[in-house]
Amino acid sequence: MDGLLNLWQATGLANLTFPALSMIAVGCGLLYLAIAKGFEPLLLVPIGFGAILTNIPVAALAEPGGLLYYVYYIGIDSGVFPLLIFMGVGALTDFSALIANPRMLLLGAAAQFGIFATLFGAILLNFIPGFEFTLQDASAIAIIGGADGPTAIFLASKLSPELLGAIAVAAYSYMALVPIIQPPIMRLLTSEEERSIAMPQLRPVSKKEKVLFPLMVLGLTLLFLPAASPLVGMFCLGNLMRESGVVDRLSNTAQNELINITTIFLGLAVGSKLAADQFLTVETLGILLLGALAFSIGTASGVYMAKVMNRVSSNPINPLVGAAGVSAVPMAARVVNKVGLESNPHNFLLMHAMGPNVAGVLGSAVAAGILLALVG
Amino acid sequence: MEISDLLLQAANLMLTGMVGVFIFLSILIFAVKGLSKLSTSEQSPEQPRVKSKSQRQDTSGVPAQHVAAISAAIAQFRQNN
Repeated sequence: MDGLLNLWQATGLANLTFPALSMIAVGCGLLYLAIAKGFEPLLLVPIGFGAILTNIPVAALAEPGGLLYYVYYIGIDSGVFPLLIFMGVGALTDFSALIANPRMLLLGAAAQFGIFATLFGAILLNFIPGFEFTLQDASAIAIIGGADGPTAIFLASKLSPELLGAIAVAAYSYMALVPIIQPPIMRLLTSEEERSIAMPQLRPVSKKEKVLFPLMVLGLTLLFLPAASPLVGMFCLGNLMRESGVVDRLSNTAQNELINITTIFLGLAVGSKLAADQFLTVETLGILLLGALAFSIGTASGVYMAKVMNRVSSNPINPLVGAAGVSAVPMAARVVNKVGLESNPHNFLLMHAMGPNVAGVLGSAVAAGILLALVG
Repeated sequence: MEISDLLLQAANLMLTGMVGVFIFLSILIFAVKGLSKLSTSEQSPEQPRVKSKSQRQDTSGVPAQHVAAISAAIAQFRQNN
């Protein structure tokens, strides 16, 4: 009889608590969004499954000694996984649209206002009882507005590890929602006339410029913002491997196998942070709210900056491309292209939007570096 | 810490952060412009050379008339045999 009782004590049924069950439901929800709705499936499948594994009673996969604990400890606590992914993103990024029209960097900079405004907003939430965000927490939450998963995870792991699960889930969910969040803001802030502005064709960019570009960005980071060098450095390494053309094997590995392997473990490790006691809090609701705010403000400030540049510049600039400044490559650029085509069916803005789009990646890495330097 | 103190710090961070991002990326704009000037000034003397190379390739290749004559001859040869 004792044996049977012990066996019963070892079952999930005997140990399942309501919070754990709700987190398993959250994991299933993420899996549903990924599989049925196609929301960022590459990340939400491992994150959702990781969330389920973490909340299995008795097994304690996310406690010291469990698999997910070590995956988190090795990959995210150390900051290694997001940086490896950033190298892959660098190897996937083509900077020619930006090199051909470097002024687009201003749009990438303007869209980072979403980050810093949200930082202010997160502290404002402290007026509501139940919220106690420190400046570190607020910075980690605000980086969701950078619309860059690896950057958000990197910064959160350094500044506010206990909020990492909610921040990563919010960042990736909103990145998947870019086609829904951005267009209404873009339409609201621009006139039909502005949306149909055609932009002059971009000049071809020489290989030499493309090879020197990552080295130059690295040089500037070294001189002005060493705190951003883990992110920017790995990004530039990936990009140099791509553009130099002499290490195609390495570049292909960074773009495919390495980024895929890392994505599996990154997702699982993020999932391990979706434990009930950390996720089922009022702060998670605040983070989800602030994330949406960050995206919207980033989009709006990018569009406004593009409007100003269009007035000042001799070359016409379609204000829509400013919305692509919030990185989320290449989704945001595709959204710009789509909204542009609605107003002028012959106006393909995709290449023009890729400039601010990759500028946004650099911009959010720089913003992360600044936050690390000032708050970390 | 008082919330108002935190707010002040956040506002300060917002200002310095935005200024920092703009300064960094503006420097990058000038650097990229310098880079493209450098590469175009180096490329411009090269361009005619590239052109002449391609022209030479055209002349050194077999002229279209010859190609036509040879292929006609081959076709005739195949028909006859």
